Amino acid sequence: MKLWKTKGIILFLATVLFMGCQGGNISPTDREGVIIAMGTTSEPEAGFDPAFGWGAGEHVHEPLIQSTLLVTNTDLTIGYDLATSYDVSEDGMTWTVKIRSDVRFTDGEKLTAEDVAFTYNTVKESSSVNDFTMLDYAEATDDTTVIFHMTRPFSIWPYTMAIVGIVPEHAYDSASYGSNPIGSGRYILKQWDRGQQVILEANPDYYGEAPIMKRVTILFMEEDAAFLAAKAGQVDVAYTSATYSDQTVTGYGLAAYDSVDNRGFNLPAIPRMEDEKGRTIGNDLTSDVRVRRAINIGIDRKEMIDNVLNGYGTPAYSVCDGMPWYNESGEVEYDPEEAAALLEEAGWILGEDGIRQRDGVRAELTLLYSNGDSVRQALAADFANQLEKLGIDCTLEGVGWDTAYDRALSTPLLWGWGAHTPMELYNIYHTMSAAGYAEYSPYANETVDSYMDQALATGDLEESYALWRDAQWDGTTGVTQDGDIPWVWLVNIDHLYWVRDGLTVAEQKIHPHGHGWSLVNNVDRWSWS
Amino acid sequence: MNGRKGTLIFWGVASLILFCLVVIGLFVEEAATVTDFSRTNLPPSLQYPFGTDWMGRDMFQRTLAGLSLSIRIGLLTAAVSAAVAFVLGLCAATLGSRVDACISWCIDWVMGIPHILLVMLISIACGRGFTGVVVGVALSHWTSLARLVRGEILQLRQAPYMLAAEKLGVSRLKQAGRHVMPHVLPQFITGLVLLFPHAILHEASVTFLGFGLSSEQPAIGVILSESMRYLTTGKWWLALFPGLSLVFVVVLFSLLGDGLRRWLDPASAHR
Repeated sequence: MKLWKTKGIILFLATVLFMGCQGGNISPTDREGVIIAMGTTSEPEAGFDPAFGWGAGEHVHEPLIQSTLLVTNTDLTIGYDLATSYDVSEDGMTWTVKIRSDVRFTDGEKLTAEDVAFTYNTVKESSSVNDFTMLDYAEATDDTTVIFHMTRPFSIWPYTMAIVGIVPEHAYDSASYGSNPIGSGRYILKQWDRGQQVILEANPDYYGEAPIMKRVTILFMEEDAAFLAAKAGQVDVAYTSATYSDQTVTGYGLAAYDSVDNRGFNLPAIPRMEDEKGRTIGNDLTSDVRVRRAINIGIDRKEMIDNVLNGYGTPAYSVCDGMPWYNESGEVEYDPEEAAALLEEAGWILGEDGIRQRDGVRAELTLLYSNGDSVRQALAADFANQLEKLGIDCTLEGVGWDTAYDRALSTPLLWGWGAHTPMELYNIYHTMSAAGYAEYSPYANETVDSYMDQALATGDLEESYALWRDAQWDGTTGVTQDGDIPWVWLVNIDHLYWVRDGLTVAEQKIHPHGHGWSLVNNVDRWSWS
Repeated sequence: MNGRKGTLIFWGVASLILFCLVVIGLFVEEAATVTDFSRTNLPPSLQYPFGTDWMGRDMFQRTLAGLSLSIRIGLLTAAVSAAVAFVLGLCAATLGSRVDACISWCIDWVMGIPHILLVMLISIACGRGFTGVVVGVALSHWTSLARLVRGEILQLRQAPYMLAAEKLGVSRLKQAGRHVMPHVLPQFITGLVLLFPHAILHEASVTFLGFGLSSEQPAIGVILSESMRYLTTGKWWLALFPGLSLVFVVVLFSLLGDGLRRWLDPASAHR
């Protein structure tokens, strides 16, 4: 028995040591293909069907297998894919899009405006992950013209047209299309082993520039498995996180891509009360705008990035840093003295225990984060430590997403956002007409609402960018430090990958939220040297 | 010194260790959740015997607090389980064949579902967290003890002295107090102590799997599931020491139960 135990311990230690030293076993791979390790959550559960979230889901990316009407350029302005031109009517209620006539699906059939109209009517009917209520219906007037009739003006419609992959009307069956997709995109789905891998092969009849990378294999694995796969030389690119960033892998470099994958806390902007559904909403501490401002400038974002992200991140000041609709006036300097002064002004006086008090009430705040996300937990812990320095006593609590949304209405929750569409500003800050405050955190400001309504109603995209910027801060009102600051944004998390030496990853757009398919948006332009 | 005395001494020492663990753990609970990003990922040293984790928490304090929490949850759930077992066992054995059939069916039914699965399901239904785990573990561990109690009492009722007592018109209550209790109690207490290791291990496993205590709690299950993520980067101390400590506590409880059984066993009185 004793001997067995000793043997067991030795075996265990040997395993640990072995895991620590292996590596260097690098096999040359196929020069026209690439093997990429992604997280297990990146595997599209419902398959490669745009109606069930492929590309146009919670995490947006280019659908690769299908073509889209438009695309987003590297600076997040709009470019063309299938479309050759698009126009919007004066009142914003009809969009007319002309498409190419030389495009064929991979089964040989021609792609016509009928297919486009069919696709949009289908996603409107069945998409459960994306909002298509602004679309009334789509119709094809001839082979190359499609007209979108809207239910309300929606100036940022081009951003939707950049993520919805076009499916063939003649070969679409909602039950089987997801696992057997036919498209006209750069790649063809060759093989999909659920829970393991996806193999894409270049579409030989692609109408655009022929892909350089002929074969793309995506493996779905946990983060530690991806790290070991890179160490063993089994993959060319492996996703990773700051946890692993101090490691080295022979034959691989660590690539960090800028993202708008931000993390921030919502600060409920109304006093604590009960709503008509019996939920607790609002928070007495954060309902004071001076407290919210103090928190926003009392947080040292650089320190947070060094502490938690090992330096791989950038300070975040809005939900859309670096996007064409981003208003830079939201950027603030770390200023603990000013923060303390704001708290004093609000009546929160430092007590003997280092915690502020007002009328005998201690400044206490519970901070929520989602269970199982170590980065969010660490960010929340660092945020709490920094708030303690300001004299606010924080308690951390891990929650599941089943209860998080309701809890966040009264308690700050650490969120992750960041998308390639200004609609995110609307979702976060715009008042819901029924409830009278914004959806995820109680807050309402008519001026901010009206800028966003105008931005959606305007016909011109450039003009709408300006209005989105005004919604953030117009000089007197907004959601930034000098405005209402109902959310405090902390960091944008760099997306990290182990990339095999010799592989050139093409220039990346700023990655949105979701550490997955965004990387391979332009995998067709990657190359080996 | 005979065997009984030795067992008694072992019992005293082991209970003292466990008691101290619970008390110390309560004291360091506050310190165990302190995060300090200036001391992250330190391997074990004199200052931090179990090292620190990715948020700079002292793993030694976390482990102590975790063990303390586990033991307390173990105490609570084992006590509830044992009480349920005793009551149901008693009812099954004394309230006639219909009640017996009904309770026996319940025992079979609960035993038919794998423990860990049942704990998970009940925990989810009760909203996870502390309540979920306590209810889950308490409601799934009473079965074997209930069956034991039932069997003991059934057997006892056929014993000549019980039959004699009944014929002599001794009241039911008196029978229970004078004859049944002293006979069943040793079995019951041993069963109770032997429930602990199960309760603690199942609490830790269900938390490890993410269906139990919330991740800000200093629970052993949380510590172990977190450590899995860091094993590949060579941070072995995050899993090794907390894991060994858990094994230590569980083994200690198991030995306590065994010792108690031997000590209470009349046949061993002269050893």
